Amino acid sequence: MTADAPVAPTAPPALGSPEWGGFDPARTRGRGLRDLRRSFMTAARLGWQTEANWTDPILFFIYSVAKPLSTTLIFVVMIEVIGGASTREFRGFVVVGTALWAFVIAGIAGLAWAVLDDRERYRMLKYVVVSPSDFLTVLLGRGVARIAVGGMGAAITLSVGVLALGVPLDAGRIDWPLLLPVMLGGLVTIVAVGILLAAVCIQTRQESWSYPEAAAGALFLVTGAVFPLSVLPAPVQVVGWLTPLTWWIEGVRLAVFPAGPSGIGGTGSAFAAFSGRVRPEPHEIVVALLGTGVLVTLAAIVGFRVSLHRAKDRGLLDQTTGS
Amino acid sequence: MSGNAYVHRPTASPQAAAEWTQRQILMTNLRTVAGRAYPRVRGLAREKSWLFFEILLPFLTTSAFVFVYRALQAPPEYVGFVVLGGAMTAFWLNVIWMMASQLWWEKSQGNLELYFAAPMDIVAVLLGMAVGGMVMSSSRAAVVLVVATVVYGVTFAVDQWLLLLAVFFLTLTALYGLGMVLASLFLMWGREAYHLTQFLQEPVYFVSGLNFPVGRLGMLGALAIALLPLAVGLDAMRQLAFADAAYPVGTPPPEVEALILVVMTVVFLSLARWMLRTLERLARREGRLTIRWQ
Repeated sequence: MTADAPVAPTAPPALGSPEWGGFDPARTRGRGLRDLRRSFMTAARLGWQTEANWTDPILFFIYSVAKPLSTTLIFVVMIEVIGGASTREFRGFVVVGTALWAFVIAGIAGLAWAVLDDRERYRMLKYVVVSPSDFLTVLLGRGVARIAVGGMGAAITLSVGVLALGVPLDAGRIDWPLLLPVMLGGLVTIVAVGILLAAVCIQTRQESWSYPEAAAGALFLVTGAVFPLSVLPAPVQVVGWLTPLTWWIEGVRLAVFPAGPSGIGGTGSAFAAFSGRVRPEPHEIVVALLGTGVLVTLAAIVGFRVSLHRAKDRGLLDQTTGS
Repeated sequence: MSGNAYVHRPTASPQAAAEWTQRQILMTNLRTVAGRAYPRVRGLAREKSWLFFEILLPFLTTSAFVFVYRALQAPPEYVGFVVLGGAMTAFWLNVIWMMASQLWWEKSQGNLELYFAAPMDIVAVLLGMAVGGMVMSSSRAAVVLVVATVVYGVTFAVDQWLLLLAVFFLTLTALYGLGMVLASLFLMWGREAYHLTQFLQEPVYFVSGLNFPVGRLGMLGALAIALLPLAVGLDAMRQLAFADAAYPVGTPPPEVEALILVVMTVVFLSLARWMLRTLERLARREGRLTIRWQ
């Protein structure tokens, strides 16, 4: 009886050594954008599967739109309860604000929950972090699925507003050159706020599930999403000006309802007192959104890097908590 | 220590050792309640970030609703309705996230099988969660109520304090009973039940009339009063806390709503007990108690 000859292991072609037999340092550098794109697409697909594959599409659709639609109905009933001459005008204001807010909640929660899901529930966070993929890119990919769900909710809310609640939307009068850049800027900003919340959730415990909604709820107050900022004290209105989401919502409102009420301006507002005009001009909105959005995005990236570094330092990436 | 239920007693056989007295069973379950409530109560002092995220930010959310009414120039009592509703959201959020979904977390973390393997009643575990959750949520609700009352100048007019307190505690009992019913679903299901509990957040806010009198919803409001502890409790509390306000007609008087809450409490607690037993049996048969991440 003779022993079998040992079989030499062969590496897959992409992982093999160079012909000269040594170590190729280029392999540790990755392939730049190609790798980033691949990580992002894989994470986005994973995020979508996690979000959507638990049920059939119809039930998933109902669940996805119930939340933003209910929020809108709460405000619509509040307006109806009080009544008054400006009811119809204010209804359009609120429907647009709450529809856009579906993006905000989905975008913020998507990234933060991806951290909590992977750390506390699936316990994969540490493996994702040590993989060759860029962690932030993976998180962005995971968050995209939720933003898509939020977009669906926003579209349905707006449709119900127009078809059932009498919101006067005229597709022919939409200011597309304003709408497209502010939507793009707004979405980038939402993702940036989501990254900030993800940075917070890396540091905190399992009960942080409710933090994104709490943060979104607080931003609700200062962004003029459902009421004009002019009812707030002047210093709080200024805080609203520093929030890019305020300019995003104002820009979308102006693009969709050019003659509708302003969330930032209006009679007696700090903006009117400061500028002498009742509402900001479209170019002012775009510039303000860009300026504040860039600041928030930079803060988010720096904050995330610091948080990740601290988490590695203190061993938080594989902690599980509970109460 | 003859008074200790856990003192060693010599027995003739393992079967005899397993036959616990009623006192031992009761003491074990009471310890379970205290043990499960402990991390929630103690946790309040361990991580301070909740003060910001669970008290300050929800207060700002409530403020947003207050300013909607101010923008609409609503009568002042509506601001009071919002403040009361904002305080009660703390309990509903706690029921959804930390009662209904909790057994799913426990399953994912590997604790659920330990609960079932331990010589205690799973209802006691849920009661412990409820007690701890109520303490956590009460602190948030109290801060929102007190701060918002001071900041927004809400004036309460209470004629029947006893009934108001009774309604409040009955609402909490019925709410956490409902939470136990929802928690039992996780013995069998995973993400389906998780999404169901999430689905219950905003739609329940809407049909419960969290920020407006539920009577304004007509038939839908009547249905909510018949089915949801948050709707009926909040409506009764508003009627009792703003006795001098011109409250919209259409809902039963608070005494009747208190009776509805008593019925709900009995029904939800009995249903929770039955569902826990039934779904536990089914889950054991289908091997779902230890399935994670489904």
